[in-house]
Amino acid sequence: MNNHTSDSDMPKINNPTNKMDDLQYRRSIYADPTSQDDDVIAAQNADPAKKQLAKELYLFDEKLKQAMKIPVPDDLCNKLLLRQTLASHQQEKRKSRVHLALAASVAIIAGLVVNYLQFSNSYTNLGDYALAHVYYEQNDFYNDDDNRVSLTSLNKKMSTFNGSFSESLGELISADYCRFDDMKSLHLVFQGLTDTVTVFIVPKEEHLAFTNKFSDDKLQGESLGFKQANIIVVADKNESLDMWQYNINKKITWSI
Amino acid sequence: MKIFGKNKIATQVLTTEPSKNSGSMATKQVRYEALVKALHGDLYRYAYWLTHEKQVAEDLVQETFLRAWRALDSLKDEKAAKSWLITILRRENARRFERKRFDMSEYEEASIMDTQSTTTEQVIENQWLRDKIAQLPAEYSEPLVLQVLGGYNGEDIANMLNLNKNTVMTRLFRARNQLKDALEKEPKKVRLLHE
Repeated sequence: MNNHTSDSDMPKINNPTNKMDDLQYRRSIYADPTSQDDDVIAAQNADPAKKQLAKELYLFDEKLKQAMKIPVPDDLCNKLLLRQTLASHQQEKRKSRVHLALAASVAIIAGLVVNYLQFSNSYTNLGDYALAHVYYEQNDFYNDDDNRVSLTSLNKKMSTFNGSFSESLGELISADYCRFDDMKSLHLVFQGLTDTVTVFIVPKEEHLAFTNKFSDDKLQGESLGFKQANIIVVADKNESLDMWQYNINKKITWSI
Repeated sequence: MKIFGKNKIATQVLTTEPSKNSGSMATKQVRYEALVKALHGDLYRYAYWLTHEKQVAEDLVQETFLRAWRALDSLKDEKAAKSWLITILRRENARRFERKRFDMSEYEEASIMDTQSTTTEQVIENQWLRDKIAQLPAEYSEPLVLQVLGGYNGEDIANMLNLNKNTVMTRLFRARNQLKDALEKEPKKVRLLHE
């Protein structure tokens, strides 16, 4: 501590009125060798020894600076840039994974909605649905089809609806359960005069409005409302639906 | 119109006035790269004097710049970039100590010495000084490094270290005082070794 305070031993040039005493000056200049404080400058101007000390410390600082400038690894800069690139790439990847998941969810929901709209209550009445159904399956059955379904197996299926036919309505090509606007129904295809005649046995449901007669430019249809079910007949315009209705009415019996 | 627009972006990158829309990824990238290139050396040296270990210093700088990247939009004034980074680095260093409390004891300082074969006087003196700086208590060496290497004044340092300015000045005084003391006691020995 003492061996370098030689400045205090130096002859004072002048002024006992100097505001800064040696210790104060030393503290200031040691704390900041480049200090431009008025007090410090004044003290230096008044005392060459103080100026000398400032210079000495300034040079010492230069040495310190050199010593502190340890070599920076050559590759550090590149490493930093690389790490950032990787990090933001991963962030991107994470983001895109989130985006993918979102897109998938949206697709699934869209699919569900379409499905719901398409296969649920988009038809508001029995007639429209019956027509659509027949058109949809029109290529599955031909009037000259050799396939025949016996009355027994028809009645077995009819038992689901608690009904049965006392005798056959005609040449039955096909009898299968099907989804009639999401209701389990029986779908019968008979041989007709010029084309097949379709008969649906549909449980009574409220969401499809009952339509007695319906038609478009090719097909016509009629619905019969029974207590247990609706029976819908769809055929081309050559067919007498009244005849079919009459036959059905006559030959069907409901067990309950 | 288009050229004009591009120009605007270019000047924005250079001057980086507090931009309304610094969110642009490309702009952010340019800013970041400029920051790394300009300041990684200073940051590394600062980290080194904080930790006294090259590898730790490097890791610390990497962590610091990663955090800086994430928070880059919050840096509005490019002139404050260095002190902003130093603040992040100090926080990271503190976190490191929370994670793993190991003490920097004497033998670690041995690693500060580079074993260099080309021993010019300057190199010897640097090594000797490095050793002495490393031996300073951290609360003295930190403001000293900030002042000498970072070029900050007492007030800046006080802000960065959350101290009042008088405390900083006292520590700076003590830091130099101890180094000068050491220098005046030992250099003959050091010189003798190499004559």
